[in-house]
Amino acid sequence: MSNSYHMPVLPKPDGKKVTINVDGRDVEVPEGTNLVEALKTIGIATPHFCYHPDLPVAGNCRQCMVETDGPRGMGLAIACYTPVRAGMKVATDHSSEKVKTARKAVMEFQLANHPLDCPICDKAGECSLQDNYMSAGGQTSRMREGIGKQYKGSPENRHQDSKGQDRGGKHLDLGPTVILDQERCILCDRCVRFMRDVAGSEQLYIAGRGDHAFLSTFPGSELSHEYDLNVTDVCPVGALTGKHFRFHQRVWNLVSTQTIDPTDSLGANITVDHYDGQAWRIMPRRNPDVNKSWIHNDTRLAYQKLSENRLAAGLFGKNEIPLSQATSRLGELVRGARKLALVASGHLTLEDNAAILALAQFLGSRAEVFGGSWLPVGKPDNIARSGDPVPNRLGQKLLGIADNLDELVRRAKEFDVLVVVGHDLWKIAPSKAKALEAIPERIVLSAWHDDSVAKATLSVGIRSWAEVRGTMVNCQGRVQMMQAAPILPSPDLEPAWQILSSAGRLGWTSELDAFRFAQGRIPALAGLTYRNIGPMGRILEGVVA
Amino acid sequence: MATLTVTQNFGKGACDLGVYRSLGGYASLGPRLFDLSQFELIDLVSRSGLRGRGGAGFPTGMKWSFVPRNSGKPVYLVVNADEGEPGTFKDHVLMLEDPHRLIEGMLICGWALGVRTAYIYVRGEFLPAIEALNRALKQAYDAGILGENIQGTGYSLDIYVHRGAGAYICGEETALINSLEGYKGQPRLKPPFPAVSGAWASPTCVNNVETLMALPWILENGPAAYQALGTPKSGGTKVFSVSGDVKRPGVYEVPMGTPLMELLESKDLCQGIVGELKGVIPGGSSSPVLLAEEARKANLDYEALAALKTMLGSGAVIAFNTTRNAVGMLASLTRFYAHESCGQCTPCREGTGYADRILKSVVAGKGRDGDLEHMLDLAANFSYTTICPLAIADAWPIENFIGKFRPEFEKAVSANPGHASPRMDDDFRPGAFW
Repeated sequence: MSNSYHMPVLPKPDGKKVTINVDGRDVEVPEGTNLVEALKTIGIATPHFCYHPDLPVAGNCRQCMVETDGPRGMGLAIACYTPVRAGMKVATDHSSEKVKTARKAVMEFQLANHPLDCPICDKAGECSLQDNYMSAGGQTSRMREGIGKQYKGSPENRHQDSKGQDRGGKHLDLGPTVILDQERCILCDRCVRFMRDVAGSEQLYIAGRGDHAFLSTFPGSELSHEYDLNVTDVCPVGALTGKHFRFHQRVWNLVSTQTIDPTDSLGANITVDHYDGQAWRIMPRRNPDVNKSWIHNDTRLAYQKLSENRLAAGLFGKNEIPLSQATSRLGELVRGARKLALVASGHLTLEDNAAILALAQFLGSRAEVFGGSWLPVGKPDNIARSGDPVPNRLGQKLLGIADNLDELVRRAKEFDVLVVVGHDLWKIAPSKAKALEAIPERIVLSAWHDDSVAKATLSVGIRSWAEVRGTMVNCQGRVQMMQAAPILPSPDLEPAWQILSSAGRLGWTSELDAFRFAQGRIPALAGLTYRNIGPMGRILEGVVA
Repeated sequence: MATLTVTQNFGKGACDLGVYRSLGGYASLGPRLFDLSQFELIDLVSRSGLRGRGGAGFPTGMKWSFVPRNSGKPVYLVVNADEGEPGTFKDHVLMLEDPHRLIEGMLICGWALGVRTAYIYVRGEFLPAIEALNRALKQAYDAGILGENIQGTGYSLDIYVHRGAGAYICGEETALINSLEGYKGQPRLKPPFPAVSGAWASPTCVNNVETLMALPWILENGPAAYQALGTPKSGGTKVFSVSGDVKRPGVYEVPMGTPLMELLESKDLCQGIVGELKGVIPGGSSSPVLLAEEARKANLDYEALAALKTMLGSGAVIAFNTTRNAVGMLASLTRFYAHESCGQCTPCREGTGYADRILKSVVAGKGRDGDLEHMLDLAANFSYTTICPLAIADAWPIENFIGKFRPEFEKAVSANPGHASPRMDDDFRPGAFW
C-alpha cells in the first residue's frame, strides 16, 4: 500500500542540526529525520517493533509513542513517523506519565495473545518483546482464567490444548530456509515489507484481520528467495526462524566478531557469532552505505564451511605432516627455487597479498607474482551483492597485482615451483589449471581440503577468512576491517601472511607489518590505522571513479 | 411537511432517468453549473454550511478547497458508499431510490475539482443498490450525461462502481482508498491526507453519498436557503436511519436541530416508541449512548449532541426500550468491533478482542469483580493511540454503556457465584502456557 513509499529519512553524519526540546532540555538533533533516529543520536532509546531504519515506515506497533506539541497542545504521536521540526517539544517516558502509560498499555496488548514460550524460543535473549517489556512494560498479567488468548494462526492449524486453550500454527515450514510460528507473530509486518520493498518479491502477507490475523505465504506457494533469511533478522520475536540456526545455540552464549562477507566484492558487513570455539551463525551488521541491514543467504550460511573439511595440518603428497614441518619445507622450496610463480588471491586480505609481494621482492627476479581470478563477474542485485565473487579484487589491483592467470598457464613450463595462496584454481577452472601440473613443485596454502590441495605436492593449512585479522577493499573503494574469531580448528594454524613471512624471512610479527607494507604500495592507504578504519570502513579517495 | 433536500424523490420511481428528469432532475447540468467557476462553486458549497454526512461532519467546502490545483496529477472523486456502521442504512436506501441524484451530485463535485474519473465504492453486500447504480449509470451514459464532452461543455467524467469486499474499516477514507487500489483495506498513516495524496498517490476527494446528494438542491435553491433549513452552525437537513424499538423504523430526512424525540415520536416520522424508552444511540453504534432523559433534551445537530458528549455521526438512531439488556447490547457491539478491527495497530488489534473476551465471560456468567474496571482501563488504553478511530469507536460504547448502565453490569458480574473469588492461578497461569 502507499505507506510503503515512506522510507524513513535517516540522519546524515554531516547533515544540518536543529534544536528541539526533549523532556525540557534543549538538544541538537539532525534535521529532517524521524524522532526515533533523532532521539537515538542524543542517547535516548525508543522502544519499537515495526520500525526498521531500512524498511518503509508502517507505524502499526504503536510502541514508540512520545508526546509532541501540536495545534491542540501536547499529544501522543508515534516517534517513527513524526519528523523532527526545529523548536518542537518532545516528551518521552522520562517526563511524561502519559507516554509511560501508553507504552505500557501497548506492551500489555502485545503480550495479551503472545505465547510465553521463551524457554524454547530461539529469539529469547535478543527478542524485542523481552527487551521492550523490561524497558517499557513491566506490568503483571491481568489475564484471568476464562478470558484466554485469541488463537493467532491459520484456521487449519487450530487445535485445543489440555487447558482448553486454542493453539496451533507452530513450526510451519515456509520454504527451504525459514520456519514460521504463527502464534508468536506480533504482526509488525516487517517481513512482509522486507520481501515486498527490499527483496522485491512479495511472498509473505498478513491474512485475516483483527486479532485473528496471521502471517502466511500465499496459498500454494512458499517463501523462497536468495535473501529470505533476512526475514528472521527483522522479525522482532521468534515467529520466523532459520532452519540453519533453529535450536542450535542460545543466543546469549554467542560472542560476535565483526568481519566482512568473504563471498562478494561488496563486502557486506557481518558478524561471526561464535561460542566454545565454534561459529554458530553469521548475522548482518548494519552499514547504511554498504549492505544496509541485509546479507545474502550464501553469505549467511558461509559459517557452515568453517568447520567442514578443514586442512588443519600439512600434506606432503598424500601424507599428513605437522604444520611446522610443512612450513619449513615450504621455506626451503621457495628459497631454493630456480624460477618461482606466486599466485595471489582476491579471496585473501590485503595483508596476505602484501606478504606475497614482499616475498617476491625478497626473491628478486627469481619470483613472479600472478593474480586475478577466473571466477565470472555477475550483475549487482542492489541489495547486498555486487555480483563479483572475489571480495578483495580491488585491493589486489591497488597493490599492483595484475589479472594475468592466463599468462601463467601459457608460461607454466618456465617455472619449477608454484605457490598458490588461498586460491582454488583447480576448482574454479580445472581445464585451465591442468597446464599448471607441468610445474614440478606445486605448493598450495589453503584453509580447506580443496581441489587444489589434491593436485599439490605440498600443502600447508592456513587460517580461514573468519580467523584472520586484516583488511579488504570492496568494489566501492572502501577499505574494511576483518577481525579474527577464536574458532581455529587447530591452534597451530597461522594466517597466510605469517607463513609467507617466515618462508621469505621477512620477520613480520603482526598483521600490522603487512599492512604497513601495503601502505607503501597503496598511497590512498596513507594515514590509516586499524583503529581509524573503524567498523564501518573508510572510502579510499580517488580509487573508484 | 418540512423541506426535503435529499429524499424528495423517494417512492416516485426516480431510479429511471425519465422519471428523475420529470421531477426536475439534472436541471443543474446547464448554465447553473457550468457557468460557475471552480472557485465560485466551492465558495457556494462553503456558504451552504454543508458538512460531511458520513460521520465526522467535516465542512465539505473546506475539504474541497484542500485539493491542490495543477498538481500535474489527476484528481479523483471517490464516493464513500461503504456504509457499515451498525444501525446505519441511509446510503443504501438513497442509492436504491434516487441513484441519479448521486450522479448529479458527483457531476457537481467533479466540476468543482476538475475530476475526470470518479469511483463509487459501494459496500459489497448492497447488491440491489449496485444494480440500481449501474442501471442509472448506463442510462446517464446513453443520454450523454456522463462520458466524453458532457452536453457539449468540453467537460468529461467517467464514473465506476467498485464493490467492497465487506470490511467495516473500508469506510475510513484511506482504508477505502487502499481497498480501491486493490490492497488490503487498512488505514494509511497520515499525513499525507487523501486530498493531497490519495488514490494512486494523486489528489483524491472522498465524500459520503448523502453529502453529494445534497448538492443539486443547494445549486437550485442557493446556499442561503440550505443554510436556513438547519441551525446557524449545522446547516441544511440530515437523513436519519432509525431502528430499534420504534413503531415505524426507516429512513427519514429532517432539518438539522430537530429534537430527537420529535424524530422518534412524530406521527409523520417514527410514530413513537414501542414500550418505555430506556436509551438512544444517536449517531451509529460508535457514538456514546444517551439515557432516556438525555434523549428528551437532545436536538439533532452537531453542536447540541456534542454538548451531551455524544455525536451526530452518520445519523443512525437506535432507540431501545426497558426490555433490552445493556450488557447484551454492549457485548454485541464489542464483538462487532473486535471482528472488524483491521489488525494493523497493536492496541486496537489486541485490545478490542481482549475487551470482548472479558465481556463474553461476564455474559456467560463467569464475570469477576474488577472486570468492569479492567475493561474501562483497556478502553482508555486503546483509544487515541492508533492510526484510525476504530478503537475509539469501540472505547466510547464501552465507557458509556458501563458508565450509564453500571448496575446492570454489576448484576451480570455478580451472577457468577464465585465472582469475588481471587484469581485462580492454577487454572490459567501466564508463563505456564505449556
